[in-house]
Amino acid sequence: MTTPLLDEPRVMDLAVAATASGLDTVVSLRPGVAAVATKNFPATTAIFATHFPRFPVVPGVLLLDDLARLAALVLAGDGGPDRWRLAAVTRIRFRHFVRPGDVAELSVEVRSDGDGSTLRGEVRVDGKPVTTVGSLVMRDTTSGAVA
Amino acid sequence: MLFHLTDRITGYEPGRSIRARKVTSRSEPYWRETPDGPVMPAPLILETLCQAGAWLVMLDTDVRRRAALLSVSDARFLGTVRPGDVLDVIAGVESVSEERAVMSGVVEVAGRTVLEATDVMCALIDSAELDDPATTRRQLAALREAGR
Repeated sequence: MTTPLLDEPRVMDLAVAATASGLDTVVSLRPGVAAVATKNFPATTAIFATHFPRFPVVPGVLLLDDLARLAALVLAGDGGPDRWRLAAVTRIRFRHFVRPGDVAELSVEVRSDGDGSTLRGEVRVDGKPVTTVGSLVMRDTTSGAVA
Repeated sequence: MLFHLTDRITGYEPGRSIRARKVTSRSEPYWRETPDGPVMPAPLILETLCQAGAWLVMLDTDVRRRAALLSVSDARFLGTVRPGDVLDVIAGVESVSEERAVMSGVVEVAGRTVLEATDVMCALIDSAELDDPATTRRQLAALREAGR
């Protein structure tokens, strides 16, 4: 065992984090700052049967949901990610389709110009940006003022 | 899960707006556990609006065109959706061309606004590229028949 030089914030085990957020792997997680994760879309994914029968693609809103879940992990700290919910999103762009067999690399980063719970997000496939989100505004559901 | 988030079309004004209904059930697979009980993931609420908009495009074009999501300027999730809630989805056309449509709208539960979305831009693509138009026509007829 090594002793950390700095008193770092406790980092959730990455495998536990992936399970908690419904993602396949969490590659890196810096609490309060940023995270990177992957999600695979195998041809067995049930939703491809109806979206769409002749042209299966991942619904864009599901990529948005994955980014929001990753954002909740970044903000969770010692608490559970399930208390963070998506309150607003701005400037979402779907640039390319995500198809069966794709590996999506998801990244989120807390915006320095926000209140600490607004993140930008991006999804890449084979290094190419497929979805970008200007702001994911997250709200702590345990801090009151919840609809 | 079947990605069919429109259960009925309850109103239609050609070229202008559509109103649709999505009923939720605890038996559906998408509920997300929170300290406050299960809630519908916010992006799926947005999808109910996008799918209503897609039906509006199909109604307006006699099922020749279908909408594929390109961008959303702003979406505010103002309230939670819980098992058993009935979503009243109202989408209106802001602008439309041969290739693109821009829509805005709201989703309400019993008069309470749970989503406001501004400038949802869709590409209008050949509906036959996505599904058999005969199937889509049957679905559309069922959604409208049920709405009467």
